[in-house]
Amino acid sequence: MATASLALNEATEVLRPGSEDEAVEAFGDGKDVLVVGGGTIVVADLTYRRVQPARALLLRDAGLAGISRDGSRVTIGATTPLEELVDLPAPIGPCAANVADREIRGAATVGGNLCAGEGVEAPRGDLQGALIAAGATVRSAGEGGIAEEPLEDFLPKRGGRLLLSVSYEEPAAGAFAALDRPHTHDYTTMAVSGARAADGTIRLAATGTGTHGVRLPSAEGGDAQAVLNDVTPHDDALASAWYRRKVLPVLVRRVLDELKGAA
Amino acid sequence: MKVVGARIPRYDGVAHVTGRTTYVDDVRIPGTLWAKALRSPHHHAGITKLDTRPAEEMPGVHAVITWEDVPHLVYGHLEALGIPADEPLLAKDEVRYKGQPIALVAAENEELAVEAVSRIEIEFEERPALLDVRKAFDEDAPEIHKEGNWYRHFENEMDRRQIRKGDIAKAFEQADTIVQGVYRPAAIEHAPLETQVCQVVPEANGRLTIYSCTQALYFSMGVIAAHLQVPLNKLKVVGGTTGGGFGGKVDTATETMCCLLAMKSGKPVKWRWTREEEFLCSSTRAPWHMEIADAVTKDGWILGRKMLTLHDAGAYSRFSPYGLTKHSFHHTGAYTIPNLEFDGYVVYTNRVPTTAMRGFGVTSVSFATETHMSRVADVLGVDPIEIRLKNANRIGDTSPNGIVYTDPSTVSTIQTIAEAIGHELPADYRTMTSEPRSGEWLPEHLVAQTANPEDH
Amino acid sequence: MNLTVNGVSHEIESDLLTPLLDVLREELGITGPKAGCHQGGCGACTVLVDGEPRRSCLVPIAYVDGGEITTVEGLGTPEELSPVQQAFVHHYAAQCGYCTSGMMLAAQAYVAGGGTHDTEAIQEALGGHVCRCTGYSKIVEAVAAAARGDEFDLTETAVGKYTTMTTGGAE
Repeated sequence: MATASLALNEATEVLRPGSEDEAVEAFGDGKDVLVVGGGTIVVADLTYRRVQPARALLLRDAGLAGISRDGSRVTIGATTPLEELVDLPAPIGPCAANVADREIRGAATVGGNLCAGEGVEAPRGDLQGALIAAGATVRSAGEGGIAEEPLEDFLPKRGGRLLLSVSYEEPAAGAFAALDRPHTHDYTTMAVSGARAADGTIRLAATGTGTHGVRLPSAEGGDAQAVLNDVTPHDDALASAWYRRKVLPVLVRRVLDELKGAA
Repeated sequence: MKVVGARIPRYDGVAHVTGRTTYVDDVRIPGTLWAKALRSPHHHAGITKLDTRPAEEMPGVHAVITWEDVPHLVYGHLEALGIPADEPLLAKDEVRYKGQPIALVAAENEELAVEAVSRIEIEFEERPALLDVRKAFDEDAPEIHKEGNWYRHFENEMDRRQIRKGDIAKAFEQADTIVQGVYRPAAIEHAPLETQVCQVVPEANGRLTIYSCTQALYFSMGVIAAHLQVPLNKLKVVGGTTGGGFGGKVDTATETMCCLLAMKSGKPVKWRWTREEEFLCSSTRAPWHMEIADAVTKDGWILGRKMLTLHDAGAYSRFSPYGLTKHSFHHTGAYTIPNLEFDGYVVYTNRVPTTAMRGFGVTSVSFATETHMSRVADVLGVDPIEIRLKNANRIGDTSPNGIVYTDPSTVSTIQTIAEAIGHELPADYRTMTSEPRSGEWLPEHLVAQTANPEDH
Repeated sequence: MNLTVNGVSHEIESDLLTPLLDVLREELGITGPKAGCHQGGCGACTVLVDGEPRRSCLVPIAYVDGGEITTVEGLGTPEELSPVQQAFVHHYAAQCGYCTSGMMLAAQAYVAGGGTHDTEAIQEALGGHVCRCTGYSKIVEAVAAAARGDEFDLTETAVGKYTTMTTGGAE
C-alpha cells in the first residue's frame, strides 16, 4: 500500500518528550520548532503548508496534563484538553465550553489555545480572556530558562515560549458573555470574561478585539461604554470593527451585571 | 399514489451507512498521479510570461498542461442554446478572475505536485478589475469581456432580457402610489461536503475512463468530448455518486483537465480540490441586483411593475443567460401583474463565474417579489396576506411571458398558511378560489390583460 | 508504529505527523472517513479513537501509536447493521451520504456514552458536523431513536440482496 506522504515536509524532525524536563530541553530557545499540543490548529497548518518547521515537538505524552488544586489556587497543565475545563466555574468553564465542539475540545489543549497565533481571519485563544480576568500567571520555558509571569505579559511573546502550566486564584464570582455566530460550532467572534476576587476587585478581559486577549481596565469601575478606550477592534471575516465597537460594551454590561448579581 | 407518502428503500441507504458508497475520491487505482493547479492570484491581469519547463523537468512530475494542450480551447456549456462560447478551459494570455486555472501538473504525490506548481514561471500585468455590477455601465468602467461588460446575445442580438406587457405608462399614471425597493442577495457557495474531484484512467484501447462527481453525466460527457475533439464513444464516464452538488457540479470543472493530464502522462490522474479551492475558486450562485417599482392602488391592487435586474455572471457566461431568462419569466412571482416593464442584464465582473444552484434564477426573484409585496402592504397599510390573495394568480391569468395559468395553487396555499399561523381572514378572502376572476376579484385593470405580451 | 483499525492491526509506514485521515485513506485504503475540509471544520473525517470521537484530519498519527480506531466500516456490515446504522436507514438520515460516516461515529459515541433522545443534547454532541443535504432533522431523529433503543423493521427501507433482517434494537 502506498504511504500517505501527502502533507509533510519529510525533513521535519519529530520529537516526543516523555517528561517536562525533556520537553523543555527539546524546545530549547524555541527557534524553528513547532509545538504540537492536541494538533487541532497546527496539523491543519501543516496540511495546508502554512508551516514547514525543522522540528516538531509532540507534547501530549510529556506529562503536562491535569488540573490540580492547592487551597484556592488552581493549576492547569499545558496539555490539559479543553473538554476537561467545561465544568469549571465561570468565566473559565463557559469560555471553554464555547470553543468549537466536543470532538475538537477533546483534543485541543489549554496551552495550544493560549499560545494560538494571530490566525488570519480566524480568531483563536478564547481562554486568554477568561484567564486574564482570573488574574492567571503562566509558567513557561524558553530563552533565559523557566519563568513565571502574568498571562498579559506572556501573551505578546507566546510565539517564542513553551507554556508549561497556567494557574490562578479561584474567583469569588465569574461571568462570561460571547458574541457567536448562529452555528453550533464556530469561532467566537468576540467575548468578554469577568471575575470578582475575594476582596471584591473586578477584572475584565476580552478576546476578539485584536491579536490576543486583553484586559479591559477602563470598564472595571462599572462604565461599560468606557471599554472602547482599551481596544481597537478590527475588521475580519466574522465581524466588522464597527459592529464589534457596538457590541463590546453590551457584552461588558452583561458581565458586570452578572458579577454584581452573583453571590 | 403508490410512492408519495410511502416508505420505500433508498437504493444507496445501506451503502451510505456502512461506508461502502464509492465516491470519486474513494476510487483506488494503482499508480494514480496527483494533480494540482496553478491559479490566478489576480482578479484581472494579462499573462506576460508562462514557462512550465521548470515544473516539467522536476523528477516525479509526469505531465504539465496549459491552454496549448487543449484541442478545442473555448467551448460554451450552452452553445446548443445559442449562448456563444467565451471561456477558455485554461487561461490564455489573460486571467479574468482570482483562482482561474492557468496550468495543471500531475505528479507522483501531492507534495511534489504542489512544489511543481510553485516552480512554474509566470508573470502578470495587472489590469483594473470590475467587481460591482452597477459600475459595469459607467463610461469609464474597465472593459473586461471581449463583448463588452454585459451579454449581448439574447434573441435578435438584444443586450438584455426584455419583457413588455400591457401598458406600463398607463398603470403608473393610474396608480395611487408607487412603491420602490432594491434587493441585492449575495453570492452563495454551494459548499457540498465533497469538494470537486475527478479521476481519469487512460485505457490501453485509447478510451478514457472518467470517474466524475458531476451532477450531469451526459452533459459533462458532451463538454469533455467537445474540448478534446473526440467522439463520445471514446469516453466512459463513471458517475452518479456525488457527495452533494446543489447545482455546483454541473460546470464540468475538473474532468477535461484530468483527461488531458491522463492522456499526456499515460497514467491515471486524480484532482481533488481543497476546501479552500472549493470556497474561493468554485462557481457560486450569482449575486443579483434587483430594482422594483410597483404601481399600486390604495386598496392593494398591483397595477404594474417596472423591474431592472443586474445578474452578476462573474467572468464568463456559462449558464447565466439561461438563468436570467427563467428569472424574467417569474418576476411577478405567484401574483398577476398585467402591465410590465422588465429589463435584465447578464453583467460580467472579475469574479468567479457563477452557475446554477437550486432554483437557478428564480430564488432571487422570489425573494425580491415576496419582500416587495410585504413592503407594498406596509406602505399601504393593507394586510400582507390579504394583499397576496387579492393579487394571486387565478385560472386564466397569464405569466410575464404569456403562459396562461390553468391550475395555479397560490390562493389555496396562502389560505392554508393563514390558517396554520392563526391569521384570521375576512369571509370573502376565506371563500376565495382559483377560479377565473369575477366580481370583486376582477377590477377594471385586469379585464384588459393581454395574453400575448411583447417579450423577447 | 502500530495501529488497530476496526479490530485489525496494522504496521504504519507514513511519517509521524501525517494526519490519521490520510493514513487511513491513502496508506490503509480505508475510505469510510472522508476528506471534507482537512482542517477540522466539517466533521466528515471523524473516527473513534479509543472510543472517543475525533477529527482524524487533525490527529497526527504519532498520537495514536498503539491506539484503537473505529471507522464506519467497523460499526457494522450490510448483513449486520449496528443500531445506529439501522436508525439512519430507517429515518432516511442520509442523502448524499458524505457526512454520514462522521455523523454516525459521533452518534455511536454519544449513545454509547449514555446520551439521551433530548434534541438539544444531540445537537450539541453532533455540533461539529456539517450536513449540506438533509437539514439535520432526520439525523437528529435517527440519533434519538438509537438513544431510545428503538427497534426497526427495515424491510421497507433497506430491501436488497444483503439486507433481510426484520428487526433491530439497541444492545
